[in-house]
Amino acid sequence: MSEPDDERPESGAAGHRATAELEARIARARGQRSAEAEAEQTRQGDMSGMSRGFRLASEFVAAILVGAGLGWIIDSFLPTRPWGTIILLLLGFAAGVLNVVRATSDMNKANPPPANAPTVRDDDD
Amino acid sequence: MAEQPIEPIHQFKITNIFDIGTFGGDGTTGGIHLAFTNSALFMVLTVGAIGLFLIWGSARRAIVPGRTQLMAEMAYEFVANMVRTTAGHEGMKFFPLVFSLFMFILVANLFGMFPYFFTVTSQIIVTAMMALLVFFTVVIYGFYKNGLKFLKLFVPPGIPIYILPLVVVIEIISFLSRPLSHSLRLWGNMLAGHIVLKVFGGMVVALLAAGAWGIVSIAPFAMAVALTGLEFLVSALQAFVFAVLTCVYLHDAMHPGH
Repeated sequence: MSEPDDERPESGAAGHRATAELEARIARARGQRSAEAEAEQTRQGDMSGMSRGFRLASEFVAAILVGAGLGWIIDSFLPTRPWGTIILLLLGFAAGVLNVVRATSDMNKANPPPANAPTVRDDDD
Repeated sequence: MAEQPIEPIHQFKITNIFDIGTFGGDGTTGGIHLAFTNSALFMVLTVGAIGLFLIWGSARRAIVPGRTQLMAEMAYEFVANMVRTTAGHEGMKFFPLVFSLFMFILVANLFGMFPYFFTVTSQIIVTAMMALLVFFTVVIYGFYKNGLKFLKLFVPPGIPIYILPLVVVIEIISFLSRPLSHSLRLWGNMLAGHIVLKVFGGMVVALLAAGAWGIVSIAPFAMAVALTGLEFLVSALQAFVFAVLTCVYLHDAMHPGH
């Protein structure tokens, strides 16, 4: 600040250095802020972990109950007892797995892993 | 401690505040007995609180909003953004439904956090009726909008013909399980949370009554404090989850082809 021509630093090597330094500082601040935002996001993700677990559990259980219930209804109208209940209960399990897979892929889509996350090598490749 | 031992389930008991009367039946048996219960009271209070909040918030219609108006606008913006991102711009025609459900569940859950208040959403009949409302809205609007093409929802593309019957049955079960899981989740979260709170609170009382062991009661007390915070989080989160899933299901009604 002692030099009088410091107000217009865009000419010469000193100005170049000042601009580069400023850029570096901006980049550093940006990186820090996005890291903070990311940490905040993972913290929120952890907090809602219980609700995610509850969601998956209820999706799975509901499909089994509906399958068994449908089978029971079919059996009480048709002379197929007990096969309707057994087969639809098993199909209910399949539907439960389908529900869980769908819910999980929705969650992954809504909350993709951070871009700079370390990638794990897949053995299949 | 003069009363009966602490029952964690007691808080969910339905009591009649005043009787409305019996409809149908022959006077002694049968018929439907109607009464204004504590559950009904808190539903009325919930709706009243939401109505007052929104009317008060929108009364001044200032360009620079005051506190209440800001909160009302934030509630609107929050739900509107959620509907737009999850159900698309077309989904905004269902905004009144989603907003009503979200606000009702949120305020009912938060009301439940007051001591001695009744938690409406811990009754499965309430959550089941809301889930069935969404379910039938999806089915009726889906058929109205898409006609028989709505049934494509049960036929995922690219499935070989020989396993198609199996897949269709599984898809139908999966679709029918939606209202169940939709209602079970909200109900289960609220019921479990309130029981756990009550159990830890009861532990504090029981330990304090046990003389020197009272010093140990700090542990369940700390737990109860932490759980109260968690329950507030769960209250808001479950309202949000219910509304988001409503939007997801409505999206299926509008675009059954996935």
